[in-house]
Amino acid sequence: VTDAKAASDPTLVERWLEDQRQWQKTAMAYLDSMVKNDDFLVHLGNAMRGSLLAGKPYPTAKPEAAPAQEAPADDRLDQVLFALHQMQGQLNDLRLTLEELRNGGKGKSVKARPRKVAARKTSRRSRG
Amino acid sequence: VSEPEQERELEALLELSRRGRAKLERLHEVLTSPGHYGTGATPSTVVYRENKLRLLRLLDESGQPRAGRPAVLFVPAPVSRYFIVDLLPGRSFAGHVAAAGFDVFVIDFGTPTSEDRFADLAYYVDGLVRRSVRVVSRLTGQPAINVVGYCLGGTLSLLYSALYPETVARLVLLTTMVDGDVQGGIAWVAHRMGLEGERYDHPRLVPAAEVKSWFEMLAPGSNSVVGRVSDLWERLDDPAARLRDVRTMATWVDDVVPAPGRLLAELYQKFGPGRNGLMQGTATVGDRMVELAAVRMPVLSVSAEKDLIAPPEGVDAITRVVPHADVLRLPGGHVGIVAGRTATSLWQRTVEFLATSRGGADGA
Repeated sequence: VTDAKAASDPTLVERWLEDQRQWQKTAMAYLDSMVKNDDFLVHLGNAMRGSLLAGKPYPTAKPEAAPAQEAPADDRLDQVLFALHQMQGQLNDLRLTLEELRNGGKGKSVKARPRKVAARKTSRRSRG
Repeated sequence: VSEPEQERELEALLELSRRGRAKLERLHEVLTSPGHYGTGATPSTVVYRENKLRLLRLLDESGQPRAGRPAVLFVPAPVSRYFIVDLLPGRSFAGHVAAAGFDVFVIDFGTPTSEDRFADLAYYVDGLVRRSVRVVSRLTGQPAINVVGYCLGGTLSLLYSALYPETVARLVLLTTMVDGDVQGGIAWVAHRMGLEGERYDHPRLVPAAEVKSWFEMLAPGSNSVVGRVSDLWERLDDPAARLRDVRTMATWVDDVVPAPGRLLAELYQKFGPGRNGLMQGTATVGDRMVELAAVRMPVLSVSAEKDLIAPPEGVDAITRVVPHADVLRLPGGHVGIVAGRTATSLWQRTVEFLATSRGGADGA
């Protein structure tokens, strides 16, 4: 019985060959995901940095990008865009007030005060 | 080397190869399987949008809001992702509070882009947070609601509560620094890493990698790629289901968002080391003085014993400016007490605090 069992057990060489086949399968699974799944390369890159972060690349500082981290010299477009966001907020306040008036004044205690604060936000002055 | 010895060595090599391959197969499974990676765990609906902000209202099992229940608004930190308070099914702070019988809302501040570098404290407190409270009040019909702020979100909540106290029924502050002169923590690290150089008048969008580097300075080892890879490699022995949970947490920890430079400059100049506006009574939002004496609603402030980001001494100092505040110090770290395996003790204490009818400066 012992001889029969020994004969059926794979030899070391056979197990090594099987291990190689399994490695090929693993490598093919990775290659397949790289081709079929756009996010996989990002996730794999994150894992190679020791992170399981999903959905975006791991945040790393790029030396060549250092100058871009400075505030842009001409920031007028961003100021306009941000002012639009502030106006959106003020319009939402007005809409909420109208709804409250329609509903008989419920919740009116959360209105901004003073209302002039929002207009001052874009003023350029030191806060030091 | 004898033949049996050689065979043993080869067997060991084969086993090493098998284990390495098993780890890589598990990694592949985790990297390709869906999960709650940054999306929140509890079903919700968006009830308000403004700029990048989304205000989420959690839904019950039948997909309906818990209308008629006391409202709770979660205010996470705007420099990280919101879903730390709604991490995983069974590990969701907001979900736990909702299941306990509250109508829960969560602010997702979103990811700032270039123009948002001009956002200051007034924009967040008097704009985004105030309008979120207003929307919650309108939807629930409750003139005063419960507010739960985490970390910097707690700072915004405290300032808001001082400016609009009549709209806040109860206030919970989680790992919220009040005493900026207490050494250690993110404010001091940011100070040493150059936050002082941020300019209010000509702000930049502080890159996520830079914000992350401040947090990494507080957790030795996490700023080393070799250390992180080694940790991950060890972790790959865990079951895939556990690794998916780890991945959700990693997605929160590593997905720091860029920060508005004007907000950081203002926070540093008003509340940072040497300024300490909350303790000195000199804090302002926009042109308005913040009177912490106005905070008369019941307040619970929670610190974490091993908090490297907001040292517990700087958090517990709230009793010197809001004397009626209940102070609770829990074992664990900054993130662990909110979303770790032992976080249920915080969740339960919060529910008990929100449910009780006592407390407050007037003993109401």
